[in-house]
Parts: sequence; C-alpha cells; structure tokens
Amino acid sequence: MEYFIHLIIIIGIYLILAQSFNLTLGLGLLFNLAHVSVYAVGAYVTALLATELGMGFFGCLVCSVLICGLFAIILGAISIKLKEDYFAIGTLAFSSVISALLINWKSLTHGVLGIPGIPRPEFSFLKVDFYDNINFLVLTYVLVAITFFMLYLFFNNFFARTLRAQSEFRQATKALGKNTRLTRNMSFFIASCFAGLAGSLYAYYINYIDPSSFSLTEMIFVLTVVVVGKPGSFWGCVFGTVFLVLLPEPLRFTRDVPLALEWLFGMPYPQISAIPVLGWLITPVVSFLLYASRPSVLGPMRQMLYAVILFIVVYFRREALFPVQRRV
Amino acid sequence: MTTETILSVESLSFAVGDLQILNDVHLHVLEGETVGIIGPNGSGKTTLFNCLSGFNSPQKGSIALKGRDISPYEPHKRAIAGLGRVFQNFGIFREMTVGENIILALESRQPIRSTFFPWSKQNRKNVATAREYLKQVGLEDKFGDKAGSLSGGQMRLLEIIRTLAFGAELFLLDEPTAGVAPKLKNNVASLIVKLQELGKTVLIIEHDLNFIQKFCTRIIVLDQGRVVLDDAPEKVRESRLLQEIYFGNASE
Repeated sequence: MEYFIHLIIIIGIYLILAQSFNLTLGLGLLFNLAHVSVYAVGAYVTALLATELGMGFFGCLVCSVLICGLFAIILGAISIKLKEDYFAIGTLAFSSVISALLINWKSLTHGVLGIPGIPRPEFSFLKVDFYDNINFLVLTYVLVAITFFMLYLFFNNFFARTLRAQSEFRQATKALGKNTRLTRNMSFFIASCFAGLAGSLYAYYINYIDPSSFSLTEMIFVLTVVVVGKPGSFWGCVFGTVFLVLLPEPLRFTRDVPLALEWLFGMPYPQISAIPVLGWLITPVVSFLLYASRPSVLGPMRQMLYAVILFIVVYFRREALFPVQRRV
Repeated sequence: MTTETILSVESLSFAVGDLQILNDVHLHVLEGETVGIIGPNGSGKTTLFNCLSGFNSPQKGSIALKGRDISPYEPHKRAIAGLGRVFQNFGIFREMTVGENIILALESRQPIRSTFFPWSKQNRKNVATAREYLKQVGLEDKFGDKAGSLSGGQMRLLEIIRTLAFGAELFLLDEPTAGVAPKLKNNVASLIVKLQELGKTVLIIEHDLNFIQKFCTRIIVLDQGRVVLDDAPEKVRESRLLQEIYFGNASE
C-alpha cells in the first residue's frame, strides 16, 4: 500500500514535468533538451533554501518557480539563432553546463554527495505536516490540479494556435501579425516555471537529491512519455506518464515466475523445464527473467526499456514526432 | 473612391553579398488599385515582397504604408499595420484545421483577455465568423478538416480569405495561380475581384499576363532588380521591351 502511494506521488510529479515539456515540444516543436536541467535547478533551489536557510514551503516553491522561469531567457536566447535540430543541440549543451555545475560547484551543491535531509513541508497554521505520505499525496495532486488547469488553458486558447502555427511556417505566422519570438519565449517561461514546481515537489518528497537524479536518462524518460502519448496531445501525455511509470513495475515480480509456473503446472520447476519442447522454450525465458530480477540489473533494464520504446514509437510513427514536412 | 497613396517605396535596394537583387526601386500604389508585377525568374519580384513584409532587410530605401514609415517595423507589426501576404509556396498551416486557420487570423486583432479562456464568448463568435468567411469561398463544409488535405486551389482560396479575415488592406499575392488547377483559377480570379470590390489594394506577382490583364489597372515590369516598365496592361502587352526581356532580342 505504502509503495502504491509512492507510485501515485511519482506519477503526479512526472505529470507536471511531462505536461510542461509537452507544451514546448508538442505544440511548438521546440526540442528543449534542457527541460530536466531546469527541473534540477528547481529541486536544488528548494533543497538549498529549505536546508540552509530554513525557508518555508511556499517561499521555496515560489523561489523555485521564479528562478526556473528566469531560465526561459537563456532558452529564448538559444532559440533566436538555433532552429529545430540545432536548437536541440544548443539546449543539450546548456543542460551539460548545468549538470557540470551541479557536480563541481561543491561549496553550493555538495557535488555528487547531494543534499540530504530536506524537511517535508509543514503548515503550522493548519496544524498539518506532510511527513505522512497520504498527506503529501493530497498536496501533490492539489498542485497537479492547479498546473493542469493552467496548462489546459494554454493548450486550448490563442496561445496554442500561435505556437503550433509558428512551428509550421514561421513567416506566415508573422504575416498574420503574430509576435512569434514572444510566443516562443512565453512557452519557455511557462514550461520552465512548471518544471521548477515539479523539481521543488520532488526535492520535498525524496528528501535527498543528488545530480544523478537529473541526468540525460531522465530527459529521455520525459521525452518518451510525451512521444508515446503523441506530442501535443493533452490527455495523451497523461496516459503516457501513467503507462510508463507503471510499465517497469511488473519487472519487480519476475523472480516469482517459477513459483507461478509451479502453481500452474502443479509440479516442481525442474520437472517443468524437463518437459520436451515446452520446457526448452520456457527455460531460457525464465532464466532471463530471473537474471533481470536482480536489483543491479533492474535499474539499467528500466532505462533500456524506455529507450527501446522510444525507438519503436519513433520508428513506426515517425509523424508523431515531426508531423509536418519541414519547409524553408 | 479615395485616391490616396497607400504604399510608397522610395529607392529600395537590397543585395546579398555582391549580388544586387533590388536596385533603386520606386513604387507608388494608390488605394484601391490592383497592380500586377511581372518579370522573368530572378528579377527580384518575390524579394521585393519580402522586403515589403519585412523578411528581408534592405540596405537602402524607405517603405511607407498609408503615409507612415514602416521600414523599422518587424514583420508582425507591418502585418498589423495592414499588410497582408499570400505566399507562393502556400502559407497555410497544414496541421491545423481549415477553421483554425481562419480563427488564428481573427485573433490577431482581438485583445488577449477576450480569447484567453477557451470557453469565452469571443471564441464562439470567432467560430461563427470563420464559417462565414469560409462560405464565401465555398469551403464551409471543410471547417473541421486538416488544411493539408485541401487541394492546391482550395489552399490558395483559404489563404487569401484568411488574409481578408485578418483585416489586411494591402494584399501582396505571390503567384496566386501557381499550383492551382485550371478549373479553380476562375475561383481565385473572382476572389481577387471581390477584394477589389471591397476597396482593398492588391499587388499580384504573376507570370500569366492573360490572367492579370483582366483586373489589373497597372502592370509593372521588373528586370534585374529594376522597374523597367510601369504602364496600363494593354500598353505593357504591346511593349517591345517586355518581349525582349522574356524572349531575348528578336532582331538578332
């Protein structure tokens, strides 16, 4: 039960992170590969303010959101000169800078040791604390609801239409009197603010953050979520998040496969594997699953799984990622 | 009809590196006029339009729209000032629906507040207005279809009517019949006539002299970045210079 609540909270945090990424990638076709780095900054801002200065929940949250919002200026500056793939490379470089800073600026970030002991929020005026995970779950989903309400507006009003139009044909959008640069920068600002919010929540929830939680693998996970759910689709992204967070969970039960087989066949496992043909087929699969159930293999397996899914989706539904034939 | 100058271009020059594309172009267009621009490939017709709409920044010269100097303006501000552009390679948004294409144009002049909430009254009004505009070009039953599924001619009609919905006063049409089936050419022509009736000023780049002769009051011939001829359609047609530009010197 405790584990189930943990999963739901993680889904909530990723919903905020993925949906904000969906705004820039899905609507604007802007491959902002620094999104997770901005999320990292949000987490670090909260962690530092809460542990070093003892700042309260709302203070940390607002600071994380606003400081991350400032990163939109850098992203916007990158997007003026670099378009499409080059923008992806530019933001990738930018995210490497942030990762390097998180690891090497030891006096501030404690390097690879990370920042432990981030206290959970407490609302003294309501006499509520969030050390209990069920309370934290409620808090997370209140913030998810606020985020989704605001993003729903931006996914459905003039802003979304302009963002989609500029991704297809920038000059024609300008010819309709739209300030495309302002629209792009606004999309970075909104996405970065919500990434900061997700980062802040993550830091509060996990209590301990270190640079390895915000690596490129994490970016690939968020990218996979958005691509699986079809970029630009509001509810598809929700589906993608839930699906991909829960997907590797059955892997945890792989060590129980022989037990399940014994129950199914009503005989001990060595006997099953000795059955001609059927046993020869089952044995390699079961051995592989047993191997995969080791904790040292499970982590990398998850990463491989996401990468393979991303590859399959892009390979068979190329138009999901780049729906439009590019034009000059 | 008023006869004020809507567009005046003074000594416009544009070069890429050493290549002079526009060379001291002067152009004056009166309100309500329809002016055709012809010239061989590479004579700078599209570049002239790009300079007018602000996608290329000329090294020299000034552009005034309705007496206001718009040369320092960015493209979107020029558009708001009344400049409408129809692109040669179809400026519609193919991944959006036909209706959204029109709604996008309508929203440009509306305050952000009125269309911020998807369920606002203004949004519903825009849908109704968009349907009316589409009815004018016979695309009302395509409202929910992707614009990319339209034929070339329908795309062109959509783009012109979208520019009208946007509220442009000066239309820059870059080869409106390129990629349009012969049957739909007449529809494009009658739409241009409709623009004239609404008192809009139209500049058309076109190769087909027969096509523009019908509604142009004036034809300008560009060659190697210069205006070489500026006269009534019949005179331009008979001009020896035009034949020399297009077919080379016949006497040789």
